[in-house]
Amino acid sequence: MNRLIAGELIKVRTTRTALGFAAAALLLVLASVLVSILAGHPDTIEDKRSALNFGNSISFVLLLLGAVGATGEFRHRTLAPAVLIAPDRLRLFTARTAAYALTALAVAVLMAVVTLAIGIPLLGGESGPDLAGGDYVRIAAGGLIVTALSGALGVGVGTLVRNQVFAVVGIIVWTTIAEPLITLADDGLTNYTLSSAPTRVGAGGDAEMAFLPAVLILVAWTAVFCVAAALVDRRRDVE
Amino acid sequence: MSAAAIEAVGLTKRYKSVTAVDDLSFRVREGAVTGFLGPNGAGKTTTLRMVLGLARPSEGTATIQGRRYVELDEPARTVGANLEVAGAHPGRSGRNHLRALAAMAGLPGSRVDEVLRLVELEGAADRRAGKYSLGMRQRLGLAATLLGDPQVLVLDEPANGLDPQGIRWLRDFLRAMAAQGRTVLVSSHVLAEVAQTVDDVVVIHRGRLVQQGPVESLTAAGAGVLVRTPRSVALRAALEHVRLAVTEAPDGALVVEGADAAQVGEIAFAAGVPLHELAARSTSLEEAFLALTTDAPPQVGP
Repeated sequence: MNRLIAGELIKVRTTRTALGFAAAALLLVLASVLVSILAGHPDTIEDKRSALNFGNSISFVLLLLGAVGATGEFRHRTLAPAVLIAPDRLRLFTARTAAYALTALAVAVLMAVVTLAIGIPLLGGESGPDLAGGDYVRIAAGGLIVTALSGALGVGVGTLVRNQVFAVVGIIVWTTIAEPLITLADDGLTNYTLSSAPTRVGAGGDAEMAFLPAVLILVAWTAVFCVAAALVDRRRDVE
Repeated sequence: MSAAAIEAVGLTKRYKSVTAVDDLSFRVREGAVTGFLGPNGAGKTTTLRMVLGLARPSEGTATIQGRRYVELDEPARTVGANLEVAGAHPGRSGRNHLRALAAMAGLPGSRVDEVLRLVELEGAADRRAGKYSLGMRQRLGLAATLLGDPQVLVLDEPANGLDPQGIRWLRDFLRAMAAQGRTVLVSSHVLAEVAQTVDDVVVIHRGRLVQQGPVESLTAAGAGVLVRTPRSVALRAALEHVRLAVTEAPDGALVVEGADAAQVGEIAFAAGVPLHELAARSTSLEEAFLALTTDAPPQVGP
C-alpha cells in the first residue's frame, strides 16, 4: 500500500493542478483572515474563533482538488496504467484517497501557519477577551481534520461521478444551492449538511454542535461517498 | 505443444445487445511474437482489456502464465502492457509519468532512466507528455511496459500513427524483445505493419477467431496449383483418385491443393490429359488477411 500511495503522491505533485489549488486555498485563507479581523473587528471569543477558522468553506477548494484529481484519471485515461500495476481496484482507490488526504493535510498545515502567523498579532489589537491556548489548538486541529477529509471526500465524489465538469459543478451546486434549499424546508437538517459541518469542525464546535459530533458528521459524509465510490469502482471496466 | 504464455478460453464480452467478443479462444506461445490481427472494430482491444483484467468477460477466462491477471503477484514484473487507451497526463513530463508508475510497482528510480534510454526518449523525458508527438507517446507507452522488465509484452496497435521510420524502429524493437526470449502479443489492423515481425498470428473478425497458427498458415490456406486443361473432368478424376483436393475456379481452371506443380504435371501426363497451363498459385499475406476478414464465415480454431 505504501508504494501505491508514494506513486499517487508523485502524480499529485508533478502537475500544476495541486499547486494551483494550494495557491488558491492559501490566498483565500489570507484574504479571509485579513477581512474578518481588519474589517469585522471581532470582539467576542466566538467571533475571534470564526475569524481564524481556516477549516471553513475554504476547505472546499481541497474537496475540488480531490474531485479534479480523481476525475482527471478518467479524463486523461491515466487509470489503465495504474490498474495494470495494481489490479486490486480497492487498494488503488484507497491509495489515491490517502494521497489526496495527505496532500490536503500538507496544504492545511500551510493554511494554519498563514492563519496563525497573521491572525494572532492582528487579534492582539482587537478589543474583548483573548482566545485561550485551547482555542488555538482546536482551531488548528479542526482545520487539519476538515481539510484532510475534504481531499478524501473529493476523491470519492470524483470517482463516483467520473466526469470532471459534472463533479465540480455538482459539488458547487450541492453546497451552495441544494443544501440551503433543503435546510429552508427543514431547519433541523442544518446540523447535518456538508456545507455547515466543516465550519463547525474548523471553529472547534459551537453552541449548536460540539466539536466531536461535528467531526463525526463530516467523517460520515466522507465515508458514505468513499465506500460508494470503492464499491462502484471495483465493478467498473477501465475505459 | 509448447507452453502458453497467454491463453484465452471462450472469452465473450457483451455490451447490452452488442457482442464485441464472441467465444474467443486462442493461445500465445512462450518466446514468440504473435500478431493479434483483425480489422478496426474486430474486438482486439476489448479482448486485450479482458486479458489484462481491465474489463470483465461476460463469459470465459483469460490467463497469463496460467493465472488470471488480477491474481499475478507482481503484475508489472510479469506483464508489460501498452494499450491504445493507456495514456499519460498531458501536464506531466514523461519522466515523472514513469517515476510514478515505477514507485507504484516498487521499482527503483534508476529503472526509469534505463527504459527511457531503451526507447530512445531521454532527450524529451523532461518535456510534458502533452507536447509529445504521437510517435513519442508510443515510445513513452513502450517505456512504461518495460519498467518491470517483464517476460510478456502486450501491445495494442503500437504502430498507430507512426511514420515509416517509426514503424521500422518498432519492428526492430519487437525483434529485439523476441531475441531476449520475451513473449510479445502485438495487435494491429494493418497486417503489413507486423507481417515481417511476427512468428504466429491470431486473426479475429467480428469478435470471433478466424485463423490461428504460424504466419505462414495465412498464405498456406490459399496456396495450390492452378491447372488448365480442355479435359478437366478427366484430370479432376485422376487427381481425386490420388486423394488430392480439387476445386474448380469460376473460369473453369482447376485449383489443386496438397501437391506441387511437378506432381500435378506427372499425374496429368500419366492420365494422358493435355495441359494448357500449369502454375503454382500463391496468395500474398495481405490477400489472405483480407480474405479472412471480409465477412468470411468464422472457422473453429485449433
